[in-house]
This record gives sequence, C-alpha cells and structure tokens, in this order.
Amino acid sequence: MIRLEINGLPVSVEEGSTILEAAKFLGFPIPTLCHMEGLSPYGACRLCVVEIGEGDRAKLVSSCTYPAEEGLKVRTASSRVLRARRMVLELLLATCPQSKVIQDLAAQHAIRQQRFKQEHEDCIQCGLCVRMCEEQMMAKAIGFRGRGEDRSIGTPFDIKSDECRTCGGCMYVCPACQLRCTYNEPDKAICGGCANIAVPCVEKDPFDDMMCFMDPCVACEIQKD
Amino acid sequence: MNKITSVEAFGEFRRRVLTDASTEAAKPCLVICAGTGGQASGSNDVMRIIKRQIVDRNLQEKISLRVTGCQGFCEMDPFIVVEPGNHLYPKINMKDVARIIDSALAGEVVEELLYREKNICKIHYSQEEIPFFKKQTRTILGKNKKIDPIRIMDYIEAGGYASFDKIMSPPDPDWIIEEVVNSGLRGRGGAGFPTGTKWALARKAGKKSTQTYLICNADEGDPGAYMDRSLLEGNPHAIIEGMIIAAVAMGAKKGFVYVRSEYPLAIKHVLIAIRQAHQLGLLGENILGTGLDFDIDIFRGAGAFVCGEETALIRSIEGRTGEPRQRPPYPIEKGLWGKPTCINNVETLANIPVIITKGSEEFKKVGIPGNTGTKIFSLVGKITNTGLVEVPLGMKIKEVVYDIGGGPIGKTKIKAIQTGGPSGGCIPARLFDLSIDYDSLAKAGTIMGSGGMIVMDENTCMVDIAKYFMKFLKAESCGKCFPCRKGTQRMYEILDDITKGKGTLEQLDLLEELALAVRDTSMCGLGQGAPNPVLSTLRYFREEYVEHIQNKRCPAGVCKDLVGAPCQDACPLGTEAWRYIAHIQRGEYEEAYRVIREPNPFPSVCARVCSHPCEQRCRAGTSGGEAIAIRSLKRFITDRADPVQYQALHAVPTSPEAKKVAIVGAGPAGLTAAHYLSQKDYRVEIYEADDRPGGMLLSGIPAYRLPRDVLQKEIDSLLDGNISLKCNTELGRDLSIDSLFDDGFEAVYLAMGAHKSRKMSIENEEAQGVIPGIKFLKAFNLGGVELGRGQVGVVGGGNSALDAARVAIRQRDVESVTVYYRRTRQEMPAYEEEIEAALEEGVKIETLTTPTRIIAEDGRLVSMECVRNQLGEIDGSGRRRPVPVAGSELTIALDTLIVAISEEPDTAALSAMGVKVNKGSRVEADLMTGSTSRLGVFAGGDVVTGPNTVVEAIAAGKKTALMIDRYLRGGELHQPAEIHLPEVLLAPVESGADQDAGAARVRQPSMAVTARKHNFDEVENSLSAEDASREAGRCLRCDLEFARAHADLTCPGCASGDAS
Repeated sequence: MIRLEINGLPVSVEEGSTILEAAKFLGFPIPTLCHMEGLSPYGACRLCVVEIGEGDRAKLVSSCTYPAEEGLKVRTASSRVLRARRMVLELLLATCPQSKVIQDLAAQHAIRQQRFKQEHEDCIQCGLCVRMCEEQMMAKAIGFRGRGEDRSIGTPFDIKSDECRTCGGCMYVCPACQLRCTYNEPDKAICGGCANIAVPCVEKDPFDDMMCFMDPCVACEIQKD
Repeated sequence: MNKITSVEAFGEFRRRVLTDASTEAAKPCLVICAGTGGQASGSNDVMRIIKRQIVDRNLQEKISLRVTGCQGFCEMDPFIVVEPGNHLYPKINMKDVARIIDSALAGEVVEELLYREKNICKIHYSQEEIPFFKKQTRTILGKNKKIDPIRIMDYIEAGGYASFDKIMSPPDPDWIIEEVVNSGLRGRGGAGFPTGTKWALARKAGKKSTQTYLICNADEGDPGAYMDRSLLEGNPHAIIEGMIIAAVAMGAKKGFVYVRSEYPLAIKHVLIAIRQAHQLGLLGENILGTGLDFDIDIFRGAGAFVCGEETALIRSIEGRTGEPRQRPPYPIEKGLWGKPTCINNVETLANIPVIITKGSEEFKKVGIPGNTGTKIFSLVGKITNTGLVEVPLGMKIKEVVYDIGGGPIGKTKIKAIQTGGPSGGCIPARLFDLSIDYDSLAKAGTIMGSGGMIVMDENTCMVDIAKYFMKFLKAESCGKCFPCRKGTQRMYEILDDITKGKGTLEQLDLLEELALAVRDTSMCGLGQGAPNPVLSTLRYFREEYVEHIQNKRCPAGVCKDLVGAPCQDACPLGTEAWRYIAHIQRGEYEEAYRVIREPNPFPSVCARVCSHPCEQRCRAGTSGGEAIAIRSLKRFITDRADPVQYQALHAVPTSPEAKKVAIVGAGPAGLTAAHYLSQKDYRVEIYEADDRPGGMLLSGIPAYRLPRDVLQKEIDSLLDGNISLKCNTELGRDLSIDSLFDDGFEAVYLAMGAHKSRKMSIENEEAQGVIPGIKFLKAFNLGGVELGRGQVGVVGGGNSALDAARVAIRQRDVESVTVYYRRTRQEMPAYEEEIEAALEEGVKIETLTTPTRIIAEDGRLVSMECVRNQLGEIDGSGRRRPVPVAGSELTIALDTLIVAISEEPDTAALSAMGVKVNKGSRVEADLMTGSTSRLGVFAGGDVVTGPNTVVEAIAAGKKTALMIDRYLRGGELHQPAEIHLPEVLLAPVESGADQDAGAARVRQPSMAVTARKHNFDEVENSLSAEDASREAGRCLRCDLEFARAHADLTCPGCASGDAS
C-alpha cells in the first residue's frame, strides 16, 4: 500500500492507483472530461489537474495519469489549481458552448461568461470515442488525424470504415458530441445512430443496412404505426 | 579497412595513424566549409574550381583540399582557410580561387582578399585573430575544421576514438558514469538535466530489464537553430564515439539517432560514419573483442517539432503518432517499447569523448560551477556576424552579441535577444550583463533551449515576434492536450488582434492570464514553454503592447495593418510620401506639392533639413537595398512651387467673436500652431524673443543648408491676417502667463525651443574664446558676427556641433577647425551626410577624445587639455562606453573653442508662473496632448523634448493646435487613436523598359567643395526631372496593397480596372 496525503488527509491506496482514484476514495471532487473508468487514462483535457510538490517545485499534474507515490502531498483545490481549471473551462466554453456537460462544469466553477471569440466547434478532442472504439469495442475504426490546429477525429480519409459496426459507443461517451451526427452524409456517417431520431434514416436508401443501436428506435416505431 | 578485434590492436592502429599524420610532408591545404550553409552560399562551385585547378595544373602532390562540415562563420560563407597560417578568405569569388592557390603554393597571402573587420577595416591574417573566433572556446566545433566528415581517418588523426583506451580495457561502466557525473555536464537539449545522473538511472533501470535503448536526439526544429545539424554533418564520429561510451556505461545494446528528414547531408554523413565504424569493428557485435555489442540505427523523423519531446520521439520511433504522454513513468524506466531508454542531445553526446579523453577535471575548468563546459549557439538575426559560436557557459550575453557577434548591422540599436527557440523568451538589451547559464536564463524568464540565439534590433516588433512564435507553436502543438492546442490558438488570436489594432487592454490581461494557465496545465514541455514568448515580451516590452493597443502604433514599423506605408507611418506629420512620389512618377508636380503641403506648413524647410525618418523606414532600404531618396524628391517638388501659391487652406479673416490664443516663440512649433489655429478661426498673437521669426531654423541652421530667402518666403506665407507677430518680446522679461490671460488670451502655447548651450562643467569654461555653440551660431546667423578665429575646436558630435564647425570654417579669420567627440564616428548623432560634407570642406574630426580642462592665460583661452578614450563596456544605450586611457592626456593649442555638446531650454522664469519644469529644465507636458501643469497652458517642441528635429517640432505645433482647439471648444483632449492607412489609389506608371530593380539611389547634386567653402550659398542642388522620375520609379509602392483594398471596398469594380 502507498500512503499519501490529499488536502492534508492521509490515505492509503494500492500501488498503481492514480491520484484521481485516491481523491475519489476520500471523496474530494475532481472534475474530469477525458477520463472514464474502463478506458486507459489519457490526460488530455487537463481539467483534473492537482498541485503537488512544495515551494518553487510545486507544479500542476493531471491526477488521472499521475501515479500515487509514497509521501506525496496533493492539493486538489488550491487557488493555483482553481485558477488553472477555470481558465481551461473558459477555453472549453469558448470552443464548445453547446455542450451540456461543459456548461454544467462551468456553472459549478462559477464561470458565467467567457472572454474569447465565440466558436461553435462540435468536438473537444478528449479522445474518449477513440479509446472507446479501440479498447472496448475492439474496432479501431476512428482515430486522430492531423496535428495542432488541424487535428481532428474521424476515419482514415473520411471514408466510411469497414471496421465500424455502427455500435454507437463513440456517441455514448461523447461529452460534446455533434461530430458524428452526419446522417445527411451517409458515406461519412460513423454510427448512423442519430439518424434514427428523424425520418430520413428510414427514407433514404443508404441507411437501409445500417445497424441501429437505439432500442427501441423512435423512427422505426413511428414507421410501424 | 580490416576489422580490428582487440583493444590493443586498435590502440596500435590509432597510434600508427597519428604518427603517419605527423611525419607526412607538410603541404599547404585549402580548407573549405561545405556544410549545408556553405553549400547554399556556393561552396560547391568553389570546390569544383579548386579541384579543376589542382587536376589541370597537376598540383596533387603540392597542395591538398579538405572539404569540411560547417565551421560556424556562416556570415562569410563561402570561405577558404589556407593551412598553414590559417589565412581566412571570406565570401570568396570564383575568379579569385586561382590567386589563392598560387599564393598558398608560394607560402604567401593575398592581402586584399583576407578578412577585414567591419568599420575599422583591420586586416586579420589568421583565423584565430578574427574577433568572431578569438573569444570563442571551440572545444567541440573547432574539430570540424580538421575533419573531412566522410573520412574516419581524419577523425582519428584529430584525436578521435582515443577514449577507447580508457573505456574498453576493461570496460568499467561505474568509472565512466562517475567521470560524467563529476564533469558536471548538463543536457544540452535545453532542460539541463545532469547527464551523469541520467546515465546512472538508466544503468539501474537497465539491470532489471532485458534491453536498454540509447537515443541520440537530433530532432532539431527551432527556427534559426542549426548546431546539431552542423555537428552531425561536420563530425559524425564524435557523436558515434559519445554514443558508444554511453552504451558501455549503461549497458545499452541498441542506439538510435533520431534525425529529421530535412537534414539529408547529416543523414548521409552519419550513415557513412556508422558504416566505417562497423568496418573497423567499433560498432556491431563483440566490439574490439571485448564482448560488448552495440549498434546504431538512424531513424528519420518526418519533421514534427513536438517529436523533439522525448515521449513523443519514442512514440515516433515505435511507429505511432508523435505525441507526448504524461510523465511519469519517465522514459528512463519505461521508454521505447516499454524498455528503459536514455535520450541525449547531439551536443551532449559530442561532449562525452572530450570528458573521457581529457578527464572530467580538465573539462570542469571551462565554464562556471554548476554550468560546466561550453555551449554552441546559433547566433542569427539582426547581427553582423551570424553563425555558430561556441562559448564557455557563464559568458555574458553582451560578449557574445557585441564581441563575437560584432554588434548591430549599421547604426541601429540592438533591442533584445531571443533564446531557446519558440518556447524560449526574450531578454532585453539592458540585461545583457546576464551570464549565459541554465539558471540565470530561467530566472530571466527564458530557457537555454537547444541554443538558438536570435538578435533583434529596433526594427523588430516584439508583439510581432510573439505572434510569429505563437503561429509556429499553434501549428506544431500536437493537439493532444486541450490547453496547449486551444491556448496557443487563442493566444495567437489575441496577438493577431493587437497587431491589427483591434486589441484592448482587457485582452492584454486575458492574454497574460491565459499564458500562465497554459504554462501550468499543459502536458509536455512544448505546451509549458509555449507561453514564454508572450510572457517574456509582456514582462520586458509591455509598453510596446500598450502602444499597439492605445495609440494604434507599431513603434518598430512592422505590423502591417497599423503601419500601412512605412514612410507615412514614420513621418511625425503623417506625410504621405508614397503619394507624392507616385505623383512625381506620373509627372503631376502640382498634385505632389499639395500632398506635401497639406500636412506640413514648412515643405521647403523640411525638403532641406528634415531628419527624414521616412527614409530610415523605407522598405526599399530595410529589405536590403537602398532607401528611396525621399527628401531629395521633396526638394525637387518644393523647388518647383511657390509657397504663396498654396492658398487652399488659407483662412478667411476671423469673426469678431473669435477667441484669442497666445504663442510664445516663433520657431517651427510656434509658427505651425499659429497657422493651424488661424485656420480654425482663432486670433493668434506670437511673441518672439529674437528680432526675427524662425527660431532655430534661423539661428541654428546655417544658410548653406537652408537659404534665408527660402525660409523667409515660407514664414511669410504662413503669417496671414489672423496672426500678429511681436518680436523682441521675451516671456519673463516683457510678459508673463498671468499677463497674457489678463489680456484676454484664453490659451497659451509655450514653444520657446531650447536655446541654451549645456556646459561641460570643466575648469575655465568662462574664459574668453570659449563660446557656447548656440551663441556662436546665433551671433553669425542673426547678426553676421564672426566669432571664430585661428585654430578652432568644436566639442560635440551632434548636428549643432557639425553646423558650428562648418560655419566656422567659412569664417574669414579661421585657420582650421577640428571637432572633438568622445565616442567613435559610428556613434556620432549627427546626420551622416553632414559629417561627410564637413570632412569634404576640410573639417577634421578627432574621435574618442574628451576635454578635461581649459587652460587660459589672462582670462583668455590658449589651449585645451584632453584625454583619449577607448571603447569599454556596453552601456545602457547599447553603445560602448568611452573609457579614458590613463596617461593619454594631450594638450591642444586653440584660439576658439565652441562647446556644442547639447542644448537645453531656458525655462527659469516658468516655475514662478505655475508651469512645472523638470530636472533637465524642460517643461513637463503630457506627450499626447501637450497640456502642462497649468490649465490652459500648452507646451511643445524643443522646450518639452530637449533638442530635437525640425519635423518633430512641426508635429508638436500641429498637434497642439488641435488640442487647443479641443480645449477651447470644451472637448475631451484624449481621443481614441486612429490608424492611417493609404486610401488614395494612384496607379503606378508602367515604364516601357524593364524596370531595373537593383537601380542605385540617386545622389543629390551638390556644389563642389572649392566653390562652397568660403561662402554661404546653398550646398545641395535640386534633382533633375529625369533623375526625380527615375528615383520615384524605384519606389516599391507599399501603399498599393492598402489603397487597392480601400478602393475595392468603397467602389468595387471601377478602381481595379484603373489599377491593373
């Protein structure tokens, strides 16, 4: 067992646990976006940052990836942590304002407005869908492409992937998802699940052989009646 | 080459090679630098010619040629060094090659082709004497000169692979690690982690694992940095030797050199070197029979900047997307394919053979404690000697910039350096005393990085620099972690807004907040370092940001959307120089005059004596050629127009209820203010202390530069019915501010100028024959009294000193005139053309001389005692401080001494009148509005700024007129700044012949020296119409971009047809 201290409270956790798990065990809330149990830690959204170390050597690390170390002193809500977290949330809000998840997180952190130019992107590239597809669905149908500002998620060359079983797992985990709701472009649609809520999926030929993850399917029910 | 199978045999082989080399008949050798930089500058052609010469003339036995990698002096590429003697022939011309070969054969030098030091033209015979090389400690880089990188024998001859004696018989990893730890070597990739410690950790981790990997990180991606490339290209075996030592120390069996594909020559040379090492049995299985296995592979990176980060680099080698992962676990425990992996920078590995061969104690002697050894920097940017420099850690920045780098190009001032590539920061010139080491740089807000050092001068905009790096980073961020990806984009967005004049001060705070958050929350070094360019420029150059935001000005003249046409932006009056130049080219001279006259009531004056800031900024000049002769063109136009004809803006007589404004001083500032106030329906009264209007234009500037009739005509044209002028009336003596207000004036403008010569504060300055500069000039210019006689000395280096000297030499009783200045000619503040003209007329200039005492007999000057100076440390102004040389005192016999070191305003009377005056006797006034501490009293011109240019005084007068108008109408003085971009579209004239892009700048015709030396006729003459048209044709027309956009905006369709 490894003993560490979180916000002054001592805690013992198994070797290999992360700070996030230890903090959860104690009940300290740490917001996360790109973290999900059952998927490998990724450390991309940086919302879960906590402060470790003392004095000049104090630094922020992502608690979802940082292994608990013997004698580590962690602060999950120091002013430095909160300041950084609020700025990350403000950036998220400026990028993806329509996401309920992000709105809720922002509200919890008392962010009422953001000061950047408003964008309306449909993806924060947290990579949950990519890991879901690879690690849980064993499909590896989607992945990251490009670098920096050109980075995006999708299938290779934007061609509908043969690996994709249209399971809809990617949609299920997405905190900001609008990306894959491309029912009006069936060639590019990854899961096609969203098409079910509207009539087009049953009207358009290309959707005929798509597997539906919605059960019961609203559209199909309507059609039956 | 046969494979060598024992350490002893290799030692024997090495010694044989060394003895062979030393006994070989010494023949002259031409060494040519043919790294990538050299090849780009044409060294391949030079090489071909040398080879042809050698073959054709059958010189194989008499002379040899060595093709080396980069030797560092890239500014002088392509160059040849001739051994013995190390004579360096820079920037070699192909036709000179034969001469150099001949002289090398004869053991002589070709003097006129040798390297000459800039400015002082001193010839340096050998490479070591050249200042660029002299101050360096070239432990690593110096070997490049001795080695043809594709010959392993060259490397062995230069002492290479000598470490094998120590590390292989028998291999003792603990000793090696101990040596490296003891040497204090820190990672040269930038972070500065102790290399020995890293190796010890790798060895410990490797014991628990089946495999340990060693990676040489040669993914060098910083803009402007190329030291790793030069090492790989110029001395690949040093890296291989370093890697073998490292492999022995940590028990690694496999090594990689991760190098980017953009370095084909480096890859080629390393591949050849690896093959040769294999052939000799230095690499591969069972190295030299010791049972050690180690092999090196090259891995070519595709060029992503982030792959220099170790975890990203590892993923890249594994064949996955190059993006970092969160550490821990560190690669030293879990790296390539999950195995312990040690990653060292190229330069770190190049240091290893030195440490092992010479011993760590010897290595430690270089540098300072905690920062031992040398570091290679690539010195680039606005500096005289660009190239690679290797200096001991702990050297001061200014030594690198000024001594090795040779200081700024031309007369500009160096503003800052940027170190550490895109994730580094800027250090302002005032901190150049800083020692170059990991810790000092970190404290100053930047990083050592891999060693890029970009020098920036006044023409570099710091906001633009931050924006440039942010653009690089937002494209090169891998995009994995959110704050780095979005943060760099958002920082760029804000910086872009600021450079376009759309920024706000709130945004500036947001920028800083964001930068701090990105630094705190990013996953890897790229993101954590990304805010550095922003944070460091904000820390040291915040005023530049504020200037962009509040005044919508880019002080360096870089940000296009604020500057528009640089000539217009540089002019304090906002004269549209591009516009009248275009009119000249189209032959529309009257239009041109209108363009000149509208913003400037003194066009003919400015056409003669303006300091022409427009020419300094002219893009034809800053982009490598010669600036357009804008002032000469202005002269051409003003000579063709009579100022009286320009009636367009003349005011109608004022209405009876017009308000009254008093102006003190009828110099350029006062007259300009009067002119513009008169047009705005005010009654203006000007009070002048002298007997004629004109101020410094009349009393300070001699007639041969500004003919009196020209000046008089221009002043007359301004004095309309709304303005009355009272001469011989002095503030303090004849009137006071209170009396003016009592007389019904509602605003007062103080524009008395600076008419008091500053004193040197030395003994006997009151002696007869010692004359203050202004007094001397005034006596002659106003009264025609000639005060100079016999041997005349002038102290000072500014324009008034040169004016005094040139006036003196024209006076009857004067025998000789000498100007004494304490710095060198390069630092003289006077206009270059003034200095030239003075020299032509026979004025002597003694630089580096400071007067210390005046010797008088019977109260009359007889001689002056001076001390010679030498240039010492760099002072706050970026210039070398003159330091007196002990024992260099000299006495100069003089009949007249004119003291023209500087002027200050005579404001003794003002404090009592409720106007605040600062220490330099200057009136304290708001620079934006001109308002002083007393309500209703404004001030401008030299009385506020101290001695300044004519055009600044005119600008001050013009601005104050606007401010007084706002004040009297009860308006807000401070109003949002506006951006002035070219708006008028003037189609360029297509000349039939091909326009000569490289055409030289026109020279202003001037009177011959013999004809002008004894009279006060104007020296400079007007251009011919042909010359003017040709010169105007050279204009790059920076305005077109904006004017066209504006025209398209206002009138789509119709303008574009005209323009194209």
